[in-house]
Amino acid sequence: MNTTNELRKSIKALIAEKKVDLFLAWEKGSLPLTATPLFVSTEDQADRAVFDVTCGNNLSIYFTKDRKQFANRKVGIAVKGCDARSVVLNILEKQIQRENVVIVGVPCDGVLDRKKVLAKTDGREVLELIDNGETVTVKGNGFDLLLNRNEILSSSCLACTYPDAQEYDVFIGDARGEVPNESRLKEIHDFQALSASERWDKTRNEYERCIRCYACRNVCPSCYCNVCFVDQNDPKWIGSTCDYTDTLIFHVIRNLHVAGRCVECGACQRACPMDIDLLMLNRKVAMEVKDRFGDIAGLDINGKPAMSDFREDEKQKFIMG
Amino acid sequence: MNMVRLDKKKFGDFILELSVEHAVYAPGNTGGKTDFIPVSSEDEINLKTLVTDLSPKGIFFPHSEVLYEYDTEGIRVPEKEAGKPIAVWGMRGCDSRSLLMLNKVFGSAIQMPDNKNFQDPYWKEKYDSSVIFGSACNMPQSTCFCNWFGDGPHSREGMDVFVVDAGDHYLMEPVSDKGSNILGKLTCLTDSLEGDAEAALKLASEAESTMVPPMDVNGLGELLNDLYDEPVWEDISAKCINCGACTFSCPTCHCYDIQDEGKGSSGKRIRIWDSCMFPIFTMEASGHNPRALSSQRVRQRVMHKYSYFLEKYGDFLCTGCGRCITVCPVNLDIREVLKTINVYNRQGITNG
Repeated sequence: MNTTNELRKSIKALIAEKKVDLFLAWEKGSLPLTATPLFVSTEDQADRAVFDVTCGNNLSIYFTKDRKQFANRKVGIAVKGCDARSVVLNILEKQIQRENVVIVGVPCDGVLDRKKVLAKTDGREVLELIDNGETVTVKGNGFDLLLNRNEILSSSCLACTYPDAQEYDVFIGDARGEVPNESRLKEIHDFQALSASERWDKTRNEYERCIRCYACRNVCPSCYCNVCFVDQNDPKWIGSTCDYTDTLIFHVIRNLHVAGRCVECGACQRACPMDIDLLMLNRKVAMEVKDRFGDIAGLDINGKPAMSDFREDEKQKFIMG
Repeated sequence: MNMVRLDKKKFGDFILELSVEHAVYAPGNTGGKTDFIPVSSEDEINLKTLVTDLSPKGIFFPHSEVLYEYDTEGIRVPEKEAGKPIAVWGMRGCDSRSLLMLNKVFGSAIQMPDNKNFQDPYWKEKYDSSVIFGSACNMPQSTCFCNWFGDGPHSREGMDVFVVDAGDHYLMEPVSDKGSNILGKLTCLTDSLEGDAEAALKLASEAESTMVPPMDVNGLGELLNDLYDEPVWEDISAKCINCGACTFSCPTCHCYDIQDEGKGSSGKRIRIWDSCMFPIFTMEASGHNPRALSSQRVRQRVMHKYSYFLEKYGDFLCTGCGRCITVCPVNLDIREVLKTINVYNRQGITNG
């Protein structure tokens, strides 16, 4: 089945039947390794929509980026499993209303991380990419590489348990179902097994490269505060320099602020211009939330986000030891 | 002085010799990314990288720069670290040209209202004494668009020494007096051979032939001024997420904020990169924000680069290095933006 064709058909039908005023999808980007967000409002535009390994953007960020644009409009959105969880979270947190959103799930086999592809080509520029499914072909000046899909997938995808949208109105193609991914927490367990000073060094090595561009925050669907704490300057909470004492505190606070809200889509890590491993702490916190509260962010539309809920029987280490 | 040769086997010696009197910067790895970093030996240099992920502006205009420290005793300007003038190896033409643009702002900015020139001492101290070893691009990337601005892969503007990678050796040619002086002093260089100049020209024409034909940017400034109030900006900016990845990787973006970090009776005043993409950039004390919308901020970035700077300093504030294109998390491609504006204008005229 050709997912792209089915997606186009689905968008066209929704627009023709006036079920949506606007549809958020992806189209081929100007560079071979990245798709780009597409805002569809006519049937013709739907023919530009694509879905393949380059569609990493979590489009639910646009619900909270420009609320005015979406006010009183029915909006359709194409979602991978992780993106769907962001939509659900946005609904649970009352940023959007379920009845105003039409969710179209696409079967996802994971999306690429540009940095991993460039590592494979030894930094040589990729001029063409072909998504063959199990494999991906990348071509450039003087090279033509056939890569195993797993070699270039975003770390978030390699650790993904729920590739399908759990909440949707339309699902295109065959769902993959829950992926038993036993090794998904290995990286985190390995990290935890390190000594405190090793963990500190590793963390510092990552975060001291931060240039404070906030791409991680701005591609994150869970980061939608009207004024982010780093932008508050009266009073000013944290320093704005690139010193690791400032960058680390920015990332750690953001980390805690998305606790129980991070859907582990990996958009932050893929967006980072400095190749910082932003997922490690986010996934670690998500793991803690699941252990303590049994909650997986955005999975259950009838649930409540862990930090917005209280149950008498929930495990609280600080009380019960 | 004529063209000289540096055998690549002697590259290590060259860097060591250069380091005696200079603080040397060159493309190097930082995590999985490339940036201009201080180096003391050949091993730290990444010679493969074409356009570094971060631009060299940070050498002269660092992300966070302490302007002065203060306490009850008074104010002190921090001492320059190495005390040596800066030498940069491996700077592409797009980047060396960007320094000329930044120098218009920091070196001799035209100040309103009396048009006096302002000179930024922090910039000048580093830039004026620096020596730039430029590097010709033999294989431009698909995102390179320096040719839009009348430039090319073998451009030498803003360099002191022009360097061509010619296989097992480098060919170097002085561009400025500073360049002549330093080449005269370095002992690891040898005279060029017959045919070297031709070989360099051949590499230049080969590189140029691989570039995508440029869009005509004549009249772009006026065109943008005409389109200032058009709704096209909403379409252009729709996907922009307003992060600062483009402005921070850009070699010519130079907006900054000044912040005080104080505790008790001492503290420091720091100059920190800022970005017109951030809402807080124009937030006024009253709470009013003249650029509250994403479309206004995207328009500002485009206007500054291709209209305002041109009007004030006679040059576009863009060298076509393509960093903003490769770094953008949503693939908002500045070339597409400018093409959209061009097409929009033509349609506007047709529609009357």
